[in-house]
Amino acid sequence: MFLSVLGVALGVAVVVAIDLANTSATEAFRLSSEAVTGRATHHIVGSRELLDERVYLDLRLEAGIKDAAPVIDGFVSIPSNPGRMLQVLGIDPLAEGPFRSFTGGVGSGLDLGRFISSEQTGVLSALTAQNLNIEAGDSLKVRFEGQEQSITIISLLEAESEQSARVLDNLLIVDISTAQALFGMAGQLSRIELILSEESEQSAQIAALNEFLPVGAVLERSTTKSETMAQMTRAFSLNLVALSLLALVVGMFLIYNTMTFSVVQRRPTIGRLRALGVTQKEIFSLVMGEALLIGVLGTGIGLLAGIALGQGLVHLVTQSINDLYYVLRVRTWDLSYWSLAKGVGLGVGATLLAAIAPAREATSAPISTVLQRSTEESRVREGLPRLALASLGLAVTAILLLVLPGNSIAISYLALLLLILAFATATPSMVVGMARLARPLMSAVGGVVGRMAAQGTITALSRTSIAIASLMIAISATIGVGVMVNSFRSTVEVWLEYTLRADIYVSPPGLVFRRNDATLLPEIEAILRSQDGVVGAYSVRTASVKANNERADLVVVGPGPQRKEGTRLKEGDPDRVWDRFGAETTVLVSEPYSFRNDIHVGDTITMGTDQGEQAFLVGAVYYDYGSDLGAIMMSRNTYEMYFMDRGVSGISLYAAPGQDVDALIESIRGRLAGKQEVNMRSNRSLREASLDVFDRTFTVTIVLRLLAVFVAFIGVLSALMALQLERARELSVMRANGLTPRQVWKYVTMQTGLMGFMAGLMSIPLGLTLAYILIHVINKRSFGWTLQIDITPAILGQAVILAVLAALLAGIYPAWKMSRSNPANALRDE
Amino acid sequence: MNKTLSYISIWACILIAGMGCSEQPVPTVQSSIDLNTAMSGDTTGYERAIGVRDLTFPDDFGPHPSFKTEWWYFTGNVDDEEGRRFGYELTLFRSALSPDRVQEDLSDSSLLVGADSGWSSSQLYMGHFSLANVDGFATNEDPAFYAFERFGRGAKGLAGAQATPFRVWLDHWSADGSGDGLFPIRVRAEEDGIAIDFTLSSSKPIVLQGDKGFDQKGAGVGNASYYYSFTRMNTEGTIRINDQSTSVTGYSWKDHEWSTSALDDNQEGWDWFALQLSDNREIMFYVIRESGGSMGAFTNGTLVEADGTTTSLKKEDVLLEVTDTWKSPHSGATYPSGWVLQVPAYGIDLAIQPLLKDQELNVSVRYWEGAVSIDGKNGLTGRGYVELTGYR
Repeated sequence: MFLSVLGVALGVAVVVAIDLANTSATEAFRLSSEAVTGRATHHIVGSRELLDERVYLDLRLEAGIKDAAPVIDGFVSIPSNPGRMLQVLGIDPLAEGPFRSFTGGVGSGLDLGRFISSEQTGVLSALTAQNLNIEAGDSLKVRFEGQEQSITIISLLEAESEQSARVLDNLLIVDISTAQALFGMAGQLSRIELILSEESEQSAQIAALNEFLPVGAVLERSTTKSETMAQMTRAFSLNLVALSLLALVVGMFLIYNTMTFSVVQRRPTIGRLRALGVTQKEIFSLVMGEALLIGVLGTGIGLLAGIALGQGLVHLVTQSINDLYYVLRVRTWDLSYWSLAKGVGLGVGATLLAAIAPAREATSAPISTVLQRSTEESRVREGLPRLALASLGLAVTAILLLVLPGNSIAISYLALLLLILAFATATPSMVVGMARLARPLMSAVGGVVGRMAAQGTITALSRTSIAIASLMIAISATIGVGVMVNSFRSTVEVWLEYTLRADIYVSPPGLVFRRNDATLLPEIEAILRSQDGVVGAYSVRTASVKANNERADLVVVGPGPQRKEGTRLKEGDPDRVWDRFGAETTVLVSEPYSFRNDIHVGDTITMGTDQGEQAFLVGAVYYDYGSDLGAIMMSRNTYEMYFMDRGVSGISLYAAPGQDVDALIESIRGRLAGKQEVNMRSNRSLREASLDVFDRTFTVTIVLRLLAVFVAFIGVLSALMALQLERARELSVMRANGLTPRQVWKYVTMQTGLMGFMAGLMSIPLGLTLAYILIHVINKRSFGWTLQIDITPAILGQAVILAVLAALLAGIYPAWKMSRSNPANALRDE
Repeated sequence: MNKTLSYISIWACILIAGMGCSEQPVPTVQSSIDLNTAMSGDTTGYERAIGVRDLTFPDDFGPHPSFKTEWWYFTGNVDDEEGRRFGYELTLFRSALSPDRVQEDLSDSSLLVGADSGWSSSQLYMGHFSLANVDGFATNEDPAFYAFERFGRGAKGLAGAQATPFRVWLDHWSADGSGDGLFPIRVRAEEDGIAIDFTLSSSKPIVLQGDKGFDQKGAGVGNASYYYSFTRMNTEGTIRINDQSTSVTGYSWKDHEWSTSALDDNQEGWDWFALQLSDNREIMFYVIRESGGSMGAFTNGTLVEADGTTTSLKKEDVLLEVTDTWKSPHSGATYPSGWVLQVPAYGIDLAIQPLLKDQELNVSVRYWEGAVSIDGKNGLTGRGYVELTGYR
């Protein structure tokens, strides 16, 4: 009973935890963006998320548009609180009226004169100020792209509700003038926000605005931005959900297992009840009622555990989002009732579902035979061919689903699930086969006891096969996920090796590891290029552009042979594409971009540039594991033709032959002192930093993997206990006939060890199949990456050892209990 | 004319509107701030009107940023060829946000350039534009009153004022003079489909109010303003309401006034009259109401003769009687809504009626400002504008 509850609890906990972590991340994003988007219905953006402020001034002075507000939005870090980020919202308080409501007593304390004066001033929420340990009137040091600046906090916003407190969390509100100075954006805005009238009248307004706007400025709906953000992390979140469901599947096996155990245990009682006239229906209700109780109890505990676990996971999830996609300012913990409801549904539902078979088992058999366990076992053995057939059917369906055209990730996971079920239904047959094979061996090692142990797995097949199947599924999940992560990592390693060819990489500290679009001061670029010991310096610029009406990352690279050497093409002619790349309107797209947008060599991409919309020809598709969002690569020449941006986001330096790289870095550091703080990484340390982020991203996966093993361990424990406790009488008879406690130990240990070994063995093919599907189907459909499968024998060996160990561990308690029990007691029951 | 609206409350409202209570439109916030509290804002560091000085033109047409408060005020009564009547108001207010940067701003006559990227400013501009559509042009003869408000900073050309050529603007609302001579002035404003575009030319000389333009409003030293007017300007142009335009002609009135503080603590509001009579005379008269509604000592006016010569009107020269009141359905405030104004020494006896009862501007500082018609004894008629502040 305890184990059943634990099983349900674990399954529910994992699902709820993941779901809560996901919804919290989504909610965090919603809150971050709500504060920033406000009530705007539309906004005007430039070609690179930058807009000439002239557009705004004209809008007011010429078009007389009133509900228009200029916005500059960005992030700064706080030197005194490493790792802490503030979102900066630059506004014009005189234009803000209709747009944002940061409710609270703002009016009372804010000094407009100081706010819009040339003094660098800002406003924080009281809570944020408290966390940063500052008060109104203090000055706050902030850092942007490696330059430190000071903002005087002139007043604090008292949030009216918890909701508005969260909206304001880590938000620094400043005047447009302050924001321009802070971000070095003189003459520019992030965007202009607009409130257009009712839907019905909008089209005329939009037409008039489009007529009015200069080339390069684009009017779009305000939802577009948040939709893009949501799409960015969609695949990431979905995969987490799928992994949590995997834990639930394992959990269901566990429930089935323990419910069966509870029926088996009370077989004599049920038999007597039947004999006393209790109907089948009543027995069924009785068992189901018990299952319901277990389900409710387990779900309750699971919810609590899930909430606790979720709080840990949400940290990992937001960290990954911060590393890979965008800055999440708000780290909220959102206890979504919907997540909890899902947990309840899954927990109780799964328990009841899993209990149906045992309940029927308890009711369907005639009274006389219910009292006999052997009937059940014979039935299972007779059913073996049918089970094998079912297994085949499941496998075929799964394969059909996988080869079906389409890119649905959900269907891929369904196929994965069916395959797991196929393996699970095949387990009894496999166990019988393997036990027969093992019998001579076991007998050679352990004599009669060994033989008995081997045979025992068959005689109690209905129990052993489920225990073995649970363990197998859990272990295969660790193999599958392990091989997937390993393959991924080694592919990325090889790619980094290939791509990172320069000796030193210099860039300003950015906010999102994989998308650094910070700008290096021009003087720094000059210093780097003139540095002794540097024989080559190549710039890179990252910008966010609109390509085929979607936001995309543009990677602009300087001319030079390094680009050709560092890029491996998936599609396109490497001999010809580079000449065209430098000279014409040809761009390259990364593999994920190609996959996500179904863009291939010869297609065109229409990009919003500072010169208006421009079509670019796709010359090649290149391998890139830097971003699952994909990127478009453009040459610097082409970029400067179409964009009025001369900044660089990073520079890679090639050292002269024989030059000591560390000494070179030191020398550069000396020359840059006091100018702009930059990250300077040697080839090796950048590679390591990249792999660190990679590992961090997969922390969640690894945590889940461990949980799956834990769930399975509990499953095996309960199954074995059921098995052994059920045998108490049989063992007592044997004890009475001279079996020593030592031999009982040996018997139980050999049997559980064998079962673990079987599970481990069977988990290898299933695990590899899972890995194959994860890599070639699910990863492909989620992110579009080509990964090289990398199977290390260690992972497979570990899996088998893990299985045997888990089984042995699970056998300790039953063995201990059996060996100590007094045979007389067990026999007295008769 | 006394339009020293409560700037403190304006700030509060903007800030609340900007970052807070935009769910609740601004006026409800304002109503809780009484005028005297509002007027007692910190005025240290600003220049004050402490005595008569020679106003020089065209320089004094432009802004006086060392004073805290300033406004350019255009009102007028016009009608179209069908005889439909309209009243309009376009006022642009300037308010210095802090005295610290005033000197800095002074070095730059246009007030446009700051020390940084150009957005920072110490000057706040507020604009009010209203139109009384008395005979329901373009609205199936339903009379209507439209009022709009805008804010802007004196930076980046979003709002500002300059002397030569005269220009004061906020977004696309503007009054543009031409060359050194000020006239003609083009007055333009548009919002939500309501637009005016007028050309104003003066038929009468400038009127310096009070003592050569120095107008004492309260007992304290410096509780005064510099104030001049153009009391009758020929006006022609177009009015557009919901895509229908009509050509109009009539007379406008311009006031320009600057000060740092004007009212005493016990003064709660004012009634101001700008009357253009049919015999080509004009009367400017204001009553400063003290606590309890009594007529304060600093109640003044000017009678402008047809030839432009002026005579000061003291409190005792004028008899003013309220003949009707109107309770606003928007704010619940009760305003006077009909008067008899007499200047016995000059044989003037006028009955003044609002063209529309409801000409209340529900903006951040709520007040009533409306076109009126004048029916007098001895065949005297006229038109004018009346402003009522501080009513609750």
